[in-house]
Amino acid sequence: MNNYDSLLEVKDLTIRYQTDRGDITAVSDASFQINEGEFFGLAGESGSGKSTTAKGIIGGLDQNGFIHDGSVRFRGKEIQDFTEAQLNDELRWKEISWIPQSSMNSLDPLQKVSEQAVEIGQVHTDFSEKELRQKIKEMFDVVGLSQSRVDDYPHQFSGGMQQRAVIALALFLEPSLVIADEPTTALDVIMQDQIFKYLDRVKEENSTSLLLITHDISVIFESCESVAIMHASQIAEKGSTKAIHDNPRHPYTFLFKEAFPDIREPDRDLEVIDGYPPELIGEVSACSFVDRCPWAVDECHEDAPALEHVGDADAGHAASCFRSDEAYELYKDRELAVQTPPPHGDH
Amino acid sequence: MGIIDMSTSQPLLHIDGLQKYFEESSNVLDIFSRKESTKIQAVDKISLTVEKNDSVAIIGESGCGKSTLLLTLIGLHEITGGDVLYRGRPLSKFDRNDWKEYRSKVQVIFQDPFNSLDPKMTVEESLKEPLEIHNIGDQRQKVRSILKDVELRPPEKYLKRKPANLSGGEKQRVSIGRALILEPDIILADEPVSMLDVSTQASVLKMLKRLVGEYDASMIYISHDLSTVSYIAEKVYVMYLGRFVESASTNQVLENPKHPYTKALVDAIPVPDPHYNRPRTVMSGAPRDPIDLGEGCRFRDRCPEVIAPDSIDIDQDAYREVMAFRERLERDELFVDRIRKSIEPDAEGQSLADAIRDEYFTMPLSGNNAATVDAALNEIAAGESEAAERRLRERFESVCEITPEYIEDKPGWHVACHRYYNIDSQHE
Repeated sequence: MNNYDSLLEVKDLTIRYQTDRGDITAVSDASFQINEGEFFGLAGESGSGKSTTAKGIIGGLDQNGFIHDGSVRFRGKEIQDFTEAQLNDELRWKEISWIPQSSMNSLDPLQKVSEQAVEIGQVHTDFSEKELRQKIKEMFDVVGLSQSRVDDYPHQFSGGMQQRAVIALALFLEPSLVIADEPTTALDVIMQDQIFKYLDRVKEENSTSLLLITHDISVIFESCESVAIMHASQIAEKGSTKAIHDNPRHPYTFLFKEAFPDIREPDRDLEVIDGYPPELIGEVSACSFVDRCPWAVDECHEDAPALEHVGDADAGHAASCFRSDEAYELYKDRELAVQTPPPHGDH
Repeated sequence: MGIIDMSTSQPLLHIDGLQKYFEESSNVLDIFSRKESTKIQAVDKISLTVEKNDSVAIIGESGCGKSTLLLTLIGLHEITGGDVLYRGRPLSKFDRNDWKEYRSKVQVIFQDPFNSLDPKMTVEESLKEPLEIHNIGDQRQKVRSILKDVELRPPEKYLKRKPANLSGGEKQRVSIGRALILEPDIILADEPVSMLDVSTQASVLKMLKRLVGEYDASMIYISHDLSTVSYIAEKVYVMYLGRFVESASTNQVLENPKHPYTKALVDAIPVPDPHYNRPRTVMSGAPRDPIDLGEGCRFRDRCPEVIAPDSIDIDQDAYREVMAFRERLERDELFVDRIRKSIEPDAEGQSLADAIRDEYFTMPLSGNNAATVDAALNEIAAGESEAAERRLRERFESVCEITPEYIEDKPGWHVACHRYYNIDSQHE
């Protein structure tokens, strides 16, 4: 038996960046957990804090970023105070691997991809050079690169090929947790699907877990069991993808969800979310969605709503909205009203 | 095709067998090795007609040639074959004045709103610039009215702003305004929303579609994204490695794609529904480089439906592998030297032929199929690649190695695939 509940547990995490104008809160009081063999999606617009959350987890924040509060536990062990050496020895690559958003700069330009793979492998595992070469070659197959190109230098690859080489490197040591920040956004849909086909397989075979950070909620809905929706540093809502899909409780969740096209309904009107996420300095003392929310009331301006359990279907379903009981109903009523406009509607 | 009838009204834009090849410039190594310069076949015999008020989309993955097509259409690349006719006049015969008129009537919206506006110019200056170049008066009024059109209201709020003080969506709205301010005939939109957040994409697409209608213009919309195309275009052209493989009304393409590539593309689009069990793609590998592509269907090395000759009995997946292997062999992309080097020194008894088989074949073959492949692998290992090519071709040659015609399978529905060509010719 393990002496921990989940593989990764993030609790009350607040991350700030020091700037001349004061400390900007990029992540505010975020909590979620990822179990073994679970694919977890972290969704939101650019600037929502989802990339910062991931960087905070593996000690990769920018110079001016710092964890203000909260804990990050991996296999029950607090890891935010790990030194670089500890992170490298105990976690990176073998336990947690990381696919950054722009992979262009993450390969060493002076080393062949195979050399980088062998070096990483020899530091973190007991595999022989031959076994490591074989493993990276197999991964090249998965990401649609010719096996014989493992002995190429990064500059011999196009941008899309470098992205795929980074994915191959991140996956080839079969880590327990893959943290992937928009891993396939720059790739075409067929290649994206090829990569997720492989991820499905390693989840099945090795109980690999995935923290998938993306703005693309369609990918999360199809590939993940659970999801957290972030808006301007706060987790607006989290739960199983089915609960979030069927019974969303936070206005941002259902507006965001409805902004996505669905190939099965090519004529459906897409939702538009007006305005932009605010930049938050210091303590966050209101709902960060309040200025964009069509259903905001006075209360929403006065206090930041806590992430509280909602719904019956899923014990992990929680939303941070004062009107979580009624918001989705109000939205559906509004939609109904729009669909049956008065005879002299404006155009 | 290609014959201009001056008596009737001409289509607004007629792309007629357009071809754009690049010669890959030789480097020192190539000169020493006396390598012939290679041809990059970026756009290959593309034909497309745009009438007034049409909205058509060209869809394809990165590297398929869609951006080259766009740059060729606006005269930034020289045409190497075929032509483009604007109101019946060929681009190849344009003089200075023709180009000036064309460039005011055909406007582009680029993908990246962060780079397509001059960072030192205010919104007002950016919008005025095209009016000044083309000597159009009443600039103040026009700039204000276009800002209202692109939903940047009130205009006064935006006039003096510089791009750094605009969001991505606002910048792209200014770019769209700049494209429309000369009241063009045609808008060429190159992935206009792909860099925007999803919450903004829908509103910009809706607005673009509305304005193209209000300005009585036509649009060619270029994108890799089939999932939003229904919001913007009535007709879709699907492009693969420089050629159109299918074109039809948007709904037909989405609901009932015919070409195996279009099917793969539509089937790979994520569906935002955790209850829906979409099967993952059957595709593997990636498109080839568009260099010296030769005859035949360009999708055949990845095609799940590549057609085996009637004379042999072979599992479809095994046949796909043989075809992908032949393709590499004939294109000299087997990397035999590298495979030879990569045979690990302690792997005793592993022959080069085995190593090549390990790298490229996963499906079991039997009987004469296996014997032919084994014999070819031994020939390759012995340095007799041409003999191997001949041996494999003799047994495994596919009809897909002949370039399929781009036929009209149903009215308004074109497809370039032997699956359809064969069926049709059998019916006749």
